[in-house]
Amino acid sequence: MNMDALDPSIMGPAFIAGLLVLATHVPLGREVLKRGIIFIDLAVAQIAGLGVIAASAFGWAPQGWRVQVAAVTAAVLGALFLHWTERRFGRFQEAVIGVVFVLAATGGILLLAADPHGGDAVRDLLVGQILWVDMQRLLPMGLLYAVMLGLWFGLRGRLGGLGFYLIFAITVTASVQVVGVYLVFASLIVPALATQGMAGWRGLAAAWGLGATGYLLGLAASALLDLPSGAVIVWSLALLAAIIAGIRSWKNPEA
Amino acid sequence: MFRNILLVSVLLAAVPVHAALRVFACEPEWAALVTELAPDADVAAATTGFQDPHYIQARPGLIAKVRRADLVVCAGADLEVGWLPLLLRQSSNAGVQPGQPGYFEAAMQVERLEVPTSVDRAEGDLHPYGNPHVQLDPNNITLIAAALVERLAQLDPAGAEGYRSRGAAFDARWRQAIVGWEARAEPLRGARILSHHRSWIYLYRWLGIVDGGELEPKPGIPPTTSHLSELLTRLQGATVRAIIRSAYQDARGSEWLAGRTGIPAIVLPNTVRATDGATDLFSWYDDIITRLLEAGER
Repeated sequence: MNMDALDPSIMGPAFIAGLLVLATHVPLGREVLKRGIIFIDLAVAQIAGLGVIAASAFGWAPQGWRVQVAAVTAAVLGALFLHWTERRFGRFQEAVIGVVFVLAATGGILLLAADPHGGDAVRDLLVGQILWVDMQRLLPMGLLYAVMLGLWFGLRGRLGGLGFYLIFAITVTASVQVVGVYLVFASLIVPALATQGMAGWRGLAAAWGLGATGYLLGLAASALLDLPSGAVIVWSLALLAAIIAGIRSWKNPEA
Repeated sequence: MFRNILLVSVLLAAVPVHAALRVFACEPEWAALVTELAPDADVAAATTGFQDPHYIQARPGLIAKVRRADLVVCAGADLEVGWLPLLLRQSSNAGVQPGQPGYFEAAMQVERLEVPTSVDRAEGDLHPYGNPHVQLDPNNITLIAAALVERLAQLDPAGAEGYRSRGAAFDARWRQAIVGWEARAEPLRGARILSHHRSWIYLYRWLGIVDGGELEPKPGIPPTTSHLSELLTRLQGATVRAIIRSAYQDARGSEWLAGRTGIPAIVLPNTVRATDGATDLFSWYDDIITRLLEAGER
């Protein structure tokens, strides 16, 4: 037990990062669930990561704007491709997404084969390092998300499939570099799954509440048990969702 | 009950104890050295003997420990470049930032080997300050201990006398131990050894061991099939005493080569507590030499 680690100034930036990720990923996740393309985020997040890795393989500075451009370009191209395959192949979309995911993941490994810190970079991309975020990172992320949320709720209905894929790609590119692929997936799918069937704003609010509680409990558990934060948050989100889903089905066995 | 706890806490707080230094060590060997020099210090180590100090996962507890530390002791020379700068930044502890008295890099206290004349990413692990694995020559530990004593004295002037006297006692015991290790290790002089990662060159230089190369084609890059078969060809006919790796390194590469060459593959403790025998600084070096001597008897 380590009570010092519960210090809000240690957990604060990570929690704010979590809230920002949830703000955008919960509505997107409900859409992903509705469209039945669950693994698209793994694929797009992994492609964005491939863009980051490719940029660093060119020797570009890790935090520089060129890396961000490379990541967004890769993710947008991947999303456009998946949008095209959805219309072209329809019922095979999940399979195509799966193949794109393994190609992006192994492509990163191949690009990093000669990089001594390659293994670390691959692991960071998956698990993320949410504790290392600071305000310089959170501000641009918050601005970007505000724009994306504005587009999402403002243009709803008129967006269409292409709009969804583009907003999704840009949002995930930003979040994957802060919280990693696993947490991006959990933030998208787990709250949406636990609140499926709850329509409109009520469902959204419930999913947001669940997500925020999951991040808070996960961060606290990671502090008290001295375990890596990203992985613990994934588990606390899933456990919380299982409890909520259990209560819902107990109260309403028909649903 | 609650009142009793409160009373005890107030009493404890009122006792004018000499405030113990709080020390954060990146690796177990530096935690052990601080404990030798300052037994009262509150010492926390970021990694264990089974972890690769090049990389660790961020945990809230690490930030909290650095935040309240008076002194951070690390190998430095970029060994922890993947995580220590971020950890120091997130700790917002001004006293332990690089350049401050509360920041101590062990490798910077000694002469480092393999300082590159030019830094090229293509050459693998970037160590512009030279090879950071300086803990594997006990003569380096002597120098680092002396510098650390002065740093402890600077940070905690009230305890300076104690640090200096314990430092002198440690110095004497350590120098005597070195004489013993060198005598025992005499049969190792001229022996050829192969290692997993390029982390043992200080040990080689100290004991006159011949550097037989590494399983990693470039520092930090996992052994590849082509590099292993190249090693296999090169080893034909050569006498190699052992293939060594640290406890945290994957055994498959060295076991593969051992299976094909008959050279024993062994784990050497790269730090304190990396093996059962290495319980403190002294038994750590005892264990290194014992294991190397035993490898030749097989």
